[in-house]
Amino acid sequence: MTQKAKVHPYLSYNSVTVWFREVGHDRAPASQQTSLLRLLQGFCDTQNKSPDELVSSCLRTTSAGDLTISAKARREIDAAIDQFIADSQLTGHQAVAQGNKIREFLIHNGVFMQGKVSMSTTS
Amino acid sequence: MEFKRVVGTRRSVRWLKPWKPVERAKIQVMLEAANRASRSMNADYPRALVVNRDDIDGETREALRNPTTSVELDLAPTYIFWYFDLKYVDGVQERLKELIDQHALSPSHGWSHAYVDSFLWPQVLKPIADNMMALMFMGATETGIAICNSLNAAVDQGLGTCLHAFTAPDKVKSAFGVPDTWIPVWLQLVGYPLEEPEAGGQRPRQPLSYSYFEGNCSTPWEEDPQVTKQLKDDGLIQDPGPFPYRQEEVRMLSQMFGLPQ
Repeated sequence: MTQKAKVHPYLSYNSVTVWFREVGHDRAPASQQTSLLRLLQGFCDTQNKSPDELVSSCLRTTSAGDLTISAKARREIDAAIDQFIADSQLTGHQAVAQGNKIREFLIHNGVFMQGKVSMSTTS
Repeated sequence: MEFKRVVGTRRSVRWLKPWKPVERAKIQVMLEAANRASRSMNADYPRALVVNRDDIDGETREALRNPTTSVELDLAPTYIFWYFDLKYVDGVQERLKELIDQHALSPSHGWSHAYVDSFLWPQVLKPIADNMMALMFMGATETGIAICNSLNAAVDQGLGTCLHAFTAPDKVKSAFGVPDTWIPVWLQLVGYPLEEPEAGGQRPRQPLSYSYFEGNCSTPWEEDPQVTKQLKDDGLIQDPGPFPYRQEEVRMLSQMFGLPQ
């Protein structure tokens, strides 16, 4: 097990490394990193997938052999994120922000998607 | 704002103040600018449906949302759904004769009522009405010109605006009574910029020589450096992005709304 993986096993996944590097989470305090990884792990557990598998599940190969985003899978994952956050009992800005953190992981791995905006009228 | 600065300042603004409504008067200016745009045959191509976000019922708003278009729909207080009407050829015969009567189209250039009635209408315009590919091409092109005027009119009034792929056309159609003959073109979102009006700097463009030619298509357009300098002074060419603080600006805005960074 690498040094990173000792901090949290998810840091050994390529998709998580990409996410952390792109956003700069790898330079955040350890407690913040752990919090993000726990959030992602919580969601991945509900999907019975590793982070890399979660990203792959949003992709499909076309008949021409090209890798593309699966609109259906993305829609399902998007809804699953909303459900995961709803089940977590979070509310308001924190709920929206946490859901969007999971989306952030997917976005930085090439899965274009948008989450809801947290505004006073929706919090 | 001077014309050149309007054109130079226009860019897709994606961060809008969701809490600040756009005055109806400013929308009217945008629509009138669109209405005054160049249009072939003086035909009425564009149709625009203006809707304020907060006037849309929750079910419809939710239906408009999808995994790829959500943030901007939440941030923009006003939506303009742009279409063209497939029936735009209707009435063109009379509209052209109006232009002849106004001496905008004159015999000096070959125009007459007889030409419109006996030749142009039956041999050119009516066949267009029966040719779906021609209808679609002209409808989209001419409506795009009108939308461009609307975009620039928004910038001129200090608004931020951006065109988006048309969202859930079937839902929009049923929710707002859109006629069957209206073909979706763009969804224009409008509001007051939350980001700086420069939105991180002018977007990259190829030099004129990349796309424009003189005399023949082997001779790229050669810029006159003095003209280029004047355009910089006038604000048509502006400082390119990204500004040094742009990344931080976007990061802070993302945090403000709980969005991915």
